[in-house]
Amino acid sequence: MQIIISNSSKEPIYEQITNQIKSSILSGELQEGTSLPSMRQLAKDLQISVITTKRAYEELEKAGFIYSIVGKGSFVAEQNLEIIREKKQRVIEEQLNAVIINSREIGLPLDELQQLLEILYKE
Amino acid sequence: MFNLIRRDIIIQKNQLFIFIPFILFFIIMGAQPAFTFLVASIFIPFNAFGYDEKAETNILLNSLPYKRTEIIASRYLGAIVYMLLSIGLTSVALFAFNKTFTMTDVVIGSGLFLLFVALTFPLFHIFKPGYITTVVLISFILLSWIAGPVVSFISNHLTGITEFFASLSTPSLYMGATLIVIIIYALSWGISTVIYERKVF
Amino acid sequence: MENVVELINVSKKFKGFSIKNIDLHVKQGFVTGFIGANGAGKSTTIKMMMNLLRPDAGEVKLFGLDYQTNEKDIKERIGFVYDSNVFFEGLNLKDIKRIVAPAYRRWDDTLFHQYVEKFELPLNKSIKTFSKGMQMKASLAIALSHHAELIIMDEPTAGLDPIFRRELLGLLQELMLDGTRTIFFSTHITTDLDRIADYIAFIQRGELVFSKSIHDVTEDYALVKGRIDLLDRDTEKAFVHVHRAPTGFEALTDNTTEVKEIFGDTVVMERASLEDIMYYFKGGIHHV
Repeated sequence: MQIIISNSSKEPIYEQITNQIKSSILSGELQEGTSLPSMRQLAKDLQISVITTKRAYEELEKAGFIYSIVGKGSFVAEQNLEIIREKKQRVIEEQLNAVIINSREIGLPLDELQQLLEILYKE
Repeated sequence: MFNLIRRDIIIQKNQLFIFIPFILFFIIMGAQPAFTFLVASIFIPFNAFGYDEKAETNILLNSLPYKRTEIIASRYLGAIVYMLLSIGLTSVALFAFNKTFTMTDVVIGSGLFLLFVALTFPLFHIFKPGYITTVVLISFILLSWIAGPVVSFISNHLTGITEFFASLSTPSLYMGATLIVIIIYALSWGISTVIYERKVF
Repeated sequence: MENVVELINVSKKFKGFSIKNIDLHVKQGFVTGFIGANGAGKSTTIKMMMNLLRPDAGEVKLFGLDYQTNEKDIKERIGFVYDSNVFFEGLNLKDIKRIVAPAYRRWDDTLFHQYVEKFELPLNKSIKTFSKGMQMKASLAIALSHHAELIIMDEPTAGLDPIFRRELLGLLQELMLDGTRTIFFSTHITTDLDRIADYIAFIQRGELVFSKSIHDVTEDYALVKGRIDLLDRDTEKAFVHVHRAPTGFEALTDNTTEVKEIFGDTVVMERASLEDIMYYFKGGIHHV
């Protein structure tokens, strides 16, 4: 499991951890049932405080991404990938709607918007 | 507790090399055996205090799992232990140099040593660090300076008292003196403990 | 036992300086950083934790025990590192160990030698020839070799070079792995704490300003910058202290939500570092 922490980021460190673990789970890099390093080990590896990793794990647990067994550690929870995918897709639709509204406001035609999307997607 | 007493030897390992020539010097100079016993006894415990006057040492000892009463007790018991050792060593040296000494010398030497300890140890905890060595040095010189004239003054002017002492049998004189020394020593121990308990590091 | 150290309403008066009603709790299994300017009362507080000083009023409890009845048991469980060398200067590490080790029931000689090797400490050289960093390592080796549950350190990083400071912080994190150990250390070099402290206690002029988790500190406190004309008697109340300049103001708040409500997007908000917090508090508190 790879986690990269940026100290200059505006995003709090615990959020950087939760986001990166989440995306590892969603991308399938971390499979269901995989054990995660203990929060103390993770704190040491990332050279950050224990309370930060503790918070990150708590958030992940709350969001249903991982579960903890006292004395055994934390594990990747079973993910209903279909539902997550649907949720994500809904978010993408909403964001695209906003893009379309903005494009209409400045009179940007569909083909130009498509071109723009294509360039950005391939980047 | 034993560990606290033993630490004086560990700290003074190197100074102990001076200890033996130091005793020999007094013996060769032909000093009074009682005086030699006194000086020899003083060497280790007071050298140890020289180390302990540093605030850091007190911080260390009090941060370790010791009680303040134990730290003081180790000083007072240690003084007796090192006195016995020094007397043993000095006796051997005296024998080796064929100098005669009596049991009285040992008793007077150790009695004076214990009195000296009883008078100076509480002072160590009253005076600020840095002054202690000076205080001890001065009080030691004063003590040896004054002791002689005082004794002769008493014997000259207060013949009554001298006669009273002379009339006592030797054993009861020893018993009385021992008792007084023990009481003063215990009192001093108590005072030092009270002072040390209240100390701030 | 959630709190390893509890200072309850502790006061101590000296000539010209006093510690006033300090309530401080140190949580088990975490690193608590104790910050404050020089002379703020950090060492005095630590001395009261170690029973080197007795408070005039209030209670000091360690592991739920008090010093009157359990002094030896408490100290058995503490490892201490002070900012200056407290060991007999003329002695070498081997002799110092000979003096210190028998004081502890749980002294672990194998562990001690492991640390000596790890820190590359010479056993036969007198400690006064050690560099500042080596002296600290020696103290630490001794503090860690009797299975102490609480490590108390007074300015352990003062006078150390940055590389060694990093090494020390890494070492402390290693110690925290098993989850039973608690570390309490004072420092005025706050960057040490940004990395590893879980809780921050901040003392100023003998009074505890706050003691909270590093998250709460970053969520509550912020640097606020904006145009001078935004300030008036009411809006200023949101700040701990304000610096004014012809180009605008810069201030520290301890209530970020309030500042957002009052100023909205008209000001710039930045994360306040521990150093910022200490600096602005030094300027005085405008409101209570």
